[in-house]
Amino acid sequence: MSEYFRKYIKKEHYQNHYSNLKFKTSFRNCILEALKRRQWKEVEGDDWDIMWAEKEWIHEVMDHTHLQPNQKINHFRNHYELTRKDLMIKNLKRYKKNLEREGKNEEANNYNFFPQTFHLPSEYPIFCEEFKRQSQNGESKTPWIMKPIGKSQGKGIFIFNKLQSISQWKNTLRFNQEAQQAEAYIVQKYIADPLLIGGKKFDMRIYLLCTSYQPLTLYLYRTGFARFTHHRYDNEDISNTYVHLTNVAIQKTSDNYDEKLGGKWNIQTLKLFLMTKFGQEKVAETFYNIQMLMIRSLQAVQKIIINDKHCFELYGFDILLDATLKPWLLEVNASPSMTSNTPIDFELKCGLLDDVFTIIDLEKVLTGNEEQIGGFDLVCRGTPIKLPINSTFTTYLGSFNNRQQQLKKIAKSTAIRLAQTYQETQTKPIDNGSKNQKDEKEKQQRSTSKGPQTIQNGINNKLGMQPKQNSIIKRNGTNLPALGTIQNKNTVKRQPLQNAVQLQPPQIQALNSNKKINPSEEQILTVNQKLQQLTQDNKLSTFQPYKQQSQYNDVMGMSNRNIQRDEE
Amino acid sequence: MQQLDNQEILMKLKSQKQFWDIKKKIKQGFNDQQKIGVNDIQKFAQSCEIEDQLIKLISHILKKSKKRETLKEDQIEFLNTSKIKWTELLFKNLDIVHQKTKNQEEDDTNTDSKLYIYDEKNLLAFLQTFKQQQSNTLYQNVQFQSNKILNINIPLKSSQSILDKYQYLLLQEELSDEKINKIRKQIENEHLDIELEKIAQTFVPNGERCLLYLKYFEFDHQDTVLQQHFAKLQKECLNQLFYDELLEIDGHEISEDTFYFVFQEQILTCLKCFIRDRTIKENIRIQLQSGIKKEHAEFQLPITGFFPFKNISKYVAPLCYLSTKIHIIYALFKEFFCRYFCFLHSISSESNSILSLCMQIEEIVSTRSPKLFHHLKIIGCDTLKLIIHQLVYCFIGDMDPPHILTIYDQIIGHDSLEILVILCVGFLNKYKSKLLLAKNQENVQQIFSELREDRFQELVQYAYKQ
Repeated sequence: MSEYFRKYIKKEHYQNHYSNLKFKTSFRNCILEALKRRQWKEVEGDDWDIMWAEKEWIHEVMDHTHLQPNQKINHFRNHYELTRKDLMIKNLKRYKKNLEREGKNEEANNYNFFPQTFHLPSEYPIFCEEFKRQSQNGESKTPWIMKPIGKSQGKGIFIFNKLQSISQWKNTLRFNQEAQQAEAYIVQKYIADPLLIGGKKFDMRIYLLCTSYQPLTLYLYRTGFARFTHHRYDNEDISNTYVHLTNVAIQKTSDNYDEKLGGKWNIQTLKLFLMTKFGQEKVAETFYNIQMLMIRSLQAVQKIIINDKHCFELYGFDILLDATLKPWLLEVNASPSMTSNTPIDFELKCGLLDDVFTIIDLEKVLTGNEEQIGGFDLVCRGTPIKLPINSTFTTYLGSFNNRQQQLKKIAKSTAIRLAQTYQETQTKPIDNGSKNQKDEKEKQQRSTSKGPQTIQNGINNKLGMQPKQNSIIKRNGTNLPALGTIQNKNTVKRQPLQNAVQLQPPQIQALNSNKKINPSEEQILTVNQKLQQLTQDNKLSTFQPYKQQSQYNDVMGMSNRNIQRDEE
Repeated sequence: MQQLDNQEILMKLKSQKQFWDIKKKIKQGFNDQQKIGVNDIQKFAQSCEIEDQLIKLISHILKKSKKRETLKEDQIEFLNTSKIKWTELLFKNLDIVHQKTKNQEEDDTNTDSKLYIYDEKNLLAFLQTFKQQQSNTLYQNVQFQSNKILNINIPLKSSQSILDKYQYLLLQEELSDEKINKIRKQIENEHLDIELEKIAQTFVPNGERCLLYLKYFEFDHQDTVLQQHFAKLQKECLNQLFYDELLEIDGHEISEDTFYFVFQEQILTCLKCFIRDRTIKENIRIQLQSGIKKEHAEFQLPITGFFPFKNISKYVAPLCYLSTKIHIIYALFKEFFCRYFCFLHSISSESNSILSLCMQIEEIVSTRSPKLFHHLKIIGCDTLKLIIHQLVYCFIGDMDPPHILTIYDQIIGHDSLEILVILCVGFLNKYKSKLLLAKNQENVQQIFSELREDRFQELVQYAYKQ
């Protein structure tokens, strides 16, 4: 549970206290760390509340086991419909056709984010025909790329622009009788004009959390990566090297950046670059297209995936931008790498996972109506969520990731709501005569229990969103994208809190009386002070996993400083 | 100055788009008339400001045809001799660096990443020596101004005039989309320097900046020329130079900057081409080093006429945010360096030179924040030492790239580096309260080693805070 929740919510207010929760995982990277940070217990057997399993486990075990109602698992039963390269394309193609059949041509035309693809060996004849047709039309210059279906991380990928090279591949397959089950490949038209930054090719990794397919509920993470490739295709020796001219040979001086910065940009930096180079409007459009691309690919498999309330899934989308800034879907990963190569990367992934667990809400503290939880924004619930028309944002993807502040805010409002609920159940014992009354109370309560969240949303609109808008305008005004987002930090973090508290006097009283504070003291201040004290007391104890490793000091320093800033 | 005859002016006129626009306008004005006299045209032209436009256009052409001479001699003799001394000093440093690299070749395990001919601190230290020399000769009896590090008798603009000049930045308003689009169109259609400068002074929309810069430098129709020029230089890079090694080492710092590490290779390529570019010597506005020529081949100045210094890569880095084409990045860098950044490394009395800028900063800080100025003096960390890095490297690495480009806009807009004075003053004011609490140099270093976020607009606002 995110540290703020642990700080603000009293133990007895939990429906399901975090110390009672058990997890099971075979992973030993950020996943384990993130689970441990929530102070859940690791178990070996079958008595777990959440399991972060490998895909294979799902295939082997899940069909034969019965899950308890409260158990959660990180994959859907047939997730491969989306995450295996060939099936994904098949499903996208089929969905597109269905849309066309239903006369929804406009929507069908939006399914143009994957390159022309054929399945090999089954579609080999059609592919040959297409290849020859394109060669005759003089389009032969665009090469094709072969990807083995079962492999990942660029293994077995090769590029060609002559049918010969592929017939060679075919022959070796035939020759090798043992591998009769000819390894399935897909062949895809190569995106020939990718956007290059610093002469380097890159793709984006963006995280999307699906908590349900019925209704389709999706959360998009604000931060992702742009991964610059120089070794990705280097290992494969390809006769036609011109495709790889984009991959400039690594200079001996650039050896060290892989270690320090991981050869990655986060999406925010990428966005900053794109905005400077191409201007705000174009980038806003691109990022909106990326968000829609992701929603659309899940819509395409919505009816195919077996929905299960035990399941959730964190997808890692690989997206490529071409020179016109059009996004292309490369593939969807069901278990995106949670191994980190830099301290910053580590913190980012742990934060991401922590937010996933907050959304899964094993502790049952949230209302389920939250529009933003940590770095995740709700982008789809049944239908894609549209941001207000007057909002200058088209998507929060790549905007400032204010997860710390947001979690703090949400934890506070949740604490207040839970305190109130708790108090009312305590002070009003069940009484037959007043059952109706109680029901009514509960109803009210429920509506008020949404209160903080709705108010918070309201604040988001009034105060949170407003500064964002202003900041964007300011960006326009001064042409400084970074300016706005950071200013935002200050405005967002203070105002909503004070207002939230001001707007909820009865709840404050509830909280105060719980904490046995003299009600005659100035309430607003006491709550704030109290909360601050709590934060300060726990500040250091919550962030200690790397105390001994000096290389993490930078990150640690940074995160501590962030909190201090919040406190200020 | 090269004189143009009328024919040549006409030829140049015809190459301008605006000329044809004016002609079209005149034609439209006399649409239905059969006979048109010269007088009619003159009257018409006067009535709808066409005449003004023509005059502007012609003067623009004349101005462009005038080639700027490289400044070689300074009007103050003392600075000329200093320049020679500076060059000698650098040659000595070169010897040391050369020796070090040789040693390193023998001992591969110990690579010194601090190999450079000079950095901003060396430069400031050299400038500081002026004071003593001059006070010996000119200011023997003048002691009262001794608080300032630099106190040399060169013509200086009043600091108030600089402050006044940039005051409009405080009043920058948020622009509507409509206005931004209007500016976009303007950039696309405008060719006159003055107009482009005006745009750069007020607001350049993201995405149009590259075009504006290219137009201002008159590169907008020369893509192939630039490309060829760059390709030629790249070929020359195949011959290794001693300086290449220094440049490669210099790139290390860039490779540790999140914003720029992606561009490290491009930056290095640009710089390698830069030290081989013969055209720089004639285009650069001020000669940076002068004096002796040595005979030994290894110890000569590069073809550019000056030594590459520490962190020269920083000047290229932000420009990588403007174009994905390396020859464009190179052309912009070259022009920026030859027109502006060269002054940051020049021993001169020019108003843009590092000497003048430093003196302006000292002047403003000592008059407007005397407390801070004296405090820094007392704790042995003079004002200039504090901000020399930011000043010489245009805040690159201290601010996010878009902010840096806003500084570049201002430099073009005013054809001057004075904006840096404003920003440095703002920078000091921003950290004033913390600096006043600092008790020694370590404290000061600590303040700046903390995570900080400086922004263009913010620093401008701080600069005018009393």
